Amino acid sequence: MYQYDVIDREFLTDRSNEFRHQVTRRLAGDLTEDQFKPLRLMNGLYLQLHAYMLRVAIPYGSLNSRQARRLAWIARTYDKGYGHMTTRQNIQFNWIKLKDAPDILDALAEVDLHAIQTSGNCIRNTTADPYAGATAEEIDDPRVWSEVIRQWSTLHPEFSYLPRKFKIAITGALTDRAAVKVHDIGLILRRARDGSLGFEVIVGGGQGRTPYVGPTIKHHLPASSLLSYLEAVLRVYNRHGRRDNIYKARIKILVAALGAEEFGRQVEEEWAKIDQSRADLGDQELARIRGAFAQTPFETLPARSEAFEAAKAASPSLARFARNNVKAHKKPGYAIVEVSLKAVGQTPGDATADQLDVVADLAERYSLDDLRVTHAQNLVLPHVKLDDLPAVHAALEAAGLATANIDLISDIIACPGLDYCALANARAIPIAQDIAKTFADPDRAETIGELKIKISGCINACGHHHVAHIGILGVDKKGEEFYQLSLGGSGAEDASIGKILGPALAADRVAPAIDTLVDTYLAARQGEERFLDTYRRVGLEPFKEAVYAQAD
Amino acid sequence: MKAVTANRLIDGEVVFWKEGAWVDGFGDAQLFDDAQGEEVEAAVAAGKAAPTVIVDPYPIDLITVEGLGLAPVSYRERIRALGPTNELLHGKQAEGGAVVEAIRHASGAARSTGRVDLIRRK
Amino acid sequence: MPKLIKLAGPTGEQAAQWAENTFVNVVDEDAIPDAGDVILSLNRFQAEGDALLSSNSRRVGVRIEPAEEVEALAYDLPRISVVALAFPKYRDGRAYTSARLLRERFKYEGEVRAVGDVLQEQAGFMVRCGFDAFEPNDGATPEAWTKAANRFRHVYQRAVDARPIAADERAQAQAKEGAL
Repeated sequence: MYQYDVIDREFLTDRSNEFRHQVTRRLAGDLTEDQFKPLRLMNGLYLQLHAYMLRVAIPYGSLNSRQARRLAWIARTYDKGYGHMTTRQNIQFNWIKLKDAPDILDALAEVDLHAIQTSGNCIRNTTADPYAGATAEEIDDPRVWSEVIRQWSTLHPEFSYLPRKFKIAITGALTDRAAVKVHDIGLILRRARDGSLGFEVIVGGGQGRTPYVGPTIKHHLPASSLLSYLEAVLRVYNRHGRRDNIYKARIKILVAALGAEEFGRQVEEEWAKIDQSRADLGDQELARIRGAFAQTPFETLPARSEAFEAAKAASPSLARFARNNVKAHKKPGYAIVEVSLKAVGQTPGDATADQLDVVADLAERYSLDDLRVTHAQNLVLPHVKLDDLPAVHAALEAAGLATANIDLISDIIACPGLDYCALANARAIPIAQDIAKTFADPDRAETIGELKIKISGCINACGHHHVAHIGILGVDKKGEEFYQLSLGGSGAEDASIGKILGPALAADRVAPAIDTLVDTYLAARQGEERFLDTYRRVGLEPFKEAVYAQAD
Repeated sequence: MKAVTANRLIDGEVVFWKEGAWVDGFGDAQLFDDAQGEEVEAAVAAGKAAPTVIVDPYPIDLITVEGLGLAPVSYRERIRALGPTNELLHGKQAEGGAVVEAIRHASGAARSTGRVDLIRRK
Repeated sequence: MPKLIKLAGPTGEQAAQWAENTFVNVVDEDAIPDAGDVILSLNRFQAEGDALLSSNSRRVGVRIEPAEEVEALAYDLPRISVVALAFPKYRDGRAYTSARLLRERFKYEGEVRAVGDVLQEQAGFMVRCGFDAFEPNDGATPEAWTKAANRFRHVYQRAVDARPIAADERAQAQAKEGAL
């Protein structure tokens, strides 16, 4: 993993001091709330319904055990004992006091963590495949490039006051676990026919009020030209993105207005004028960053673990966990372990301080001190020996973290919604809890198979409802919480935007409607089809009829 | 009836106007009847004039919950007055009592019939 | 006349100091004064700039709004003393790009001045993008401005200023280590 050096650390200290100064000036009345708000947002601090919320960056979703323990400590010391994993691989705390925020930033900086650019109209934390460095599918390690972008985008002097927020995601694998096609910029690492490394560059995807699957504007950008090309994209956006209407200010609107071809042409024109020798990162620095990720001390192990096979045969719960939460690793004898934060009845994505400590211990002891956060609001132990899986499973089970439901119907993405968020129109969490309870039977959940439900409490779509197999959007209908269902979205490599099923439903009708959708799917399913496959084959109508016929 | 609410600058806590001060509990909020429009405006203005104390003061509408007391009309304001509905021991609701019960049972904004009360957990 | 802060040296040394503001900002509705240095809007400059520059010895600056492109000035830059880049709101970041283009692409060596909603929070970004004069509207003193502009000991990306970026510092440290 990348280790911060003295430069990175001094930078965080300076940032923390700057924010302390700004908070002091705000409390003294030297900064108005209007002036202070963008400043606190660029340090991840929102004023929500009940308190301030602090969003801490987890660059490319990667943590070591010391960092995870510090997050647990912050949850205990400054919050009410829990944190919430976000759909951009960050963690947010719900009960923060403004007066404590500078101390928290200091405490984070001590373990090389920060909240820089986790909000605001700037380049946000870059997200990446949570299986990076562990999956065999990988063409190149996306963490290397995410770290390159982290440094380049941090307090970028030209691009810190963009028309709107700007989110970049990277995958090095063909299976897309980073939702790259619905980001402002999505980068897919690819090798050209001659073997040279490059990126497919997708620009102008996004969710929110006007969802788009982003178009590819460059099929093969030489990897070493990444930063100069990003500079060109950002410059075209900074100059020409709309600033007159907050809802039309994202780059997707510019790309759609110009057309991908014309937008790409403008980027090429700008790129040609940039001095690449200055803008791009030198080979030496790139090699230093690459080296930091290359030194994972894997052991040479047999591909099959007799201990694991025997334990699995003896324990149905371990067998279920292995079927759903254990994924193939590139090294023989290792596995990727997903830790679900979606236990039935729990708040999706929440982890208590004690749970964070448990996972930190497991990461340190069993996963080469490496822990990941996924955009689906779960955790990953990326490098677990097969031999250790029984012990890891037992420890997770004891902590209430062994729910075997990854990508199943109860693995629901939900934003904090109106329980916490000042922007929300309706709650998301209780809806997720209702659905999880409805599908609490794990056998039934496995029978249904992969089914991604995602819930947003408002049109900003933090809960990714547009790209859900079944998406749920909370709306305020005449002073009541109602929920609009959509079907057929996907945030993965087969990305698509879901279609609205019909009129919004009252809260208590959502879980029964999902039940109806599932029954309709199971009746129509052919072979091994997922819900999404069946939907794509039979279309919206049968589902619509089933839900609204029953509802009448 | 109306009350005036805001968030406190230093910690973000939900607060309510009470005769020249900002208090934590909805139960302690000063209540204004419909004839007291000017006093509501004065409370909001007092909040705006104290930008180092509170952020974004605004009036909220209240309704009577039969036999229990008063509660904010909008479910957003009920959640602000209580705390999150997924963690019933967090926020103002942790103290319990009659005021919390009244807000939890409020469904004043509900206009359709036969739907579950969204504030009360099933 | 708004108070003006300028960087001390032409090479971009980052200590700031009060400077005399000799330029009058002429809004489009007003007549151009008979004498003295003036800053005009882009439209006004394009209409009247030639006559003004050739008829007398005063200096002329141009005010560029965020939606206006500095490319429009490309051929005039050698005779323009000040390019004033406007921040109608401090959240409008287009002027940062304008400043960089003036310095990096057009090699403009005159004064690049930040006007409008100019706060000390922006000092570091502005200096890095090539601004060398500022009309702060938050009451910032040169001392506060200098402090704000130099708050960060390290920078990560190349810009207009000559600061070594983190990668340069690391390469230097490594070279030193190698030499021992």
